[in-house]
Amino acid sequence: MKRLTCLLAALLCSSATIYAADDFIALDRAGATRVVNAASHTKPTIVALWSSECIHCKKNLKLFADMARVHPQLKLITIAVEPMEEGLAEPLDRLGVSGSRFAYGAEAPEALAHALDPKWRGELPRTILFDGRGGKVAFSGIITETIARASLALSAD
Amino acid sequence: MTIMRIGRLVRPAAVALLTLGCAVSVSAQAQQHEHGASVARPARPELGTSAAFAPDGMLYAVSKEGQHVLLHRSTDEGASWYAPVVVNADPEAVSAEGENRPKVAFTTDGGVLVSWTRPLTKRFAGEIRLARSDDGRRFGTPITVHRDRQEITHRFETMAITGQGQVVVAWIDKRDLEASLAEKRDYRGAAIYAALSDDGGRSFRPEVKVGDHSCECCRIAIANDTDGLPLILWRHLFEPNERDHALAKLGADGLPGGVRRATFDRWRVDGCPHHGPSLAVAADGTRHAVWFNERDGEGRVFYGRLQDGRVEAQRTVGGERAAHADIAVSDKRIAIVWKEFDGERTRLRADVSEDGGAQFRSMELAVTAGASDQPRVLRRGALLFAFWRTENEGMKGYWLR
Repeated sequence: MKRLTCLLAALLCSSATIYAADDFIALDRAGATRVVNAASHTKPTIVALWSSECIHCKKNLKLFADMARVHPQLKLITIAVEPMEEGLAEPLDRLGVSGSRFAYGAEAPEALAHALDPKWRGELPRTILFDGRGGKVAFSGIITETIARASLALSAD
Repeated sequence: MTIMRIGRLVRPAAVALLTLGCAVSVSAQAQQHEHGASVARPARPELGTSAAFAPDGMLYAVSKEGQHVLLHRSTDEGASWYAPVVVNADPEAVSAEGENRPKVAFTTDGGVLVSWTRPLTKRFAGEIRLARSDDGRRFGTPITVHRDRQEITHRFETMAITGQGQVVVAWIDKRDLEASLAEKRDYRGAAIYAALSDDGGRSFRPEVKVGDHSCECCRIAIANDTDGLPLILWRHLFEPNERDHALAKLGADGLPGGVRRATFDRWRVDGCPHHGPSLAVAADGTRHAVWFNERDGEGRVFYGRLQDGRVEAQRTVGGERAAHADIAVSDKRIAIVWKEFDGERTRLRADVSEDGGAQFRSMELAVTAGASDQPRVLRRGALLFAFWRTENEGMKGYWLR
């Protein structure tokens, strides 16, 4: 019975495409390590760390949302560095931010932060940019489109 | 495990799985997929807690539980706690995580004061609240400290009792930013406002602006100068975007003196460090401070003695991941506490100096595998004491000998 139910769970959880787009995924340490593994990103990718209390984050999120609309090959991943709560999606929805949405899971915030970026000390926004060819660079604070494009190796349109 | 929010289509299946008692974590499975959906709400309390020793030596702590502030008391330095007292009888939102936490202070007429930030519905808006108890067991109706009642930012409050026995509360305030935006003018950061009470926290004078252009999101430090007047230290936003620290003193008339730059690390970032300073003034007037800044590309905790226009004996505290330091002074004795994640666990560490900060010896006080609050260092008479709340171990104290 146990084997059967776990098989059922695996089948359900592998059906990624059936999920609602505005939901969050609870991030654990293993997931954080995977998200920031440069080798796993074969396309230009933005991993944007933000929180609902971060007044500066919305500028970056707006920029990234606009860039994702212009560049279909650009992958956008957002990580709310706080637990999932009702209303957490509102800033992302309002700014039209697409892509996978993570929120901190039950593990200690320090452990998750360390797994995401050992050099990061909690300042927000924090952005990790992948060029899709193994290149990876991280920035604190608001960044410009020029810096983002260069870090992502995106051509100007 | 509680399902807080779950993908619309997967919800029935997930509920069925939980009913079947399958050991597979839905969220753990889902996060392996970039477009997974289910979220188990982390059962994580907001750990922001303050503590202080009362004049009679009892240890008090204030924390948040739901929509209430709780006052805890311990007669054995945190080894055990009495059942907590509810500070606000009527529930309301309370900020108590990260740089926010309720505060507790003791007035010269025997009152117990508790302050906190009440978040309002509008994003980033809040009010500074304060409740008084004459006996530490029954609190009066909370008051809002400031006269400005716009639904804007009044947050990140801190509270102290001055040497003259007045109550001083300082906070981050965005009324000047909002006014500038209404006139389509730029305004850098937020502002620091403060209010004084001459009657033990029963009422407050109209608030005064201490300084324009503070950082928006870092805790504020208050320490009494040798004349008993309050010194306020905060993370400032110097032009164009240097997030160093500034210091100001409230005069005997309650009016602020000039704003002086206190640190000179020149961390330029358009972001929120979420990392405020701490200040302690020795009997000889030396201003001992700890703060966090990025310098030469590395974010570090620093200790230094704040002089007029410079920092004396600045040095790093702890390792590369030291964070959220606090400082206290007792005669020539200085104690700094901080927490530091080692890759697996978070350690509570301390540096103690017996010679006014010329030399420090380091010690480890505790370690936790879970979430934790920022640590505090308290005084009881001439003794110094570290206080740390962790999710797994609760509220604990450690004498710094």
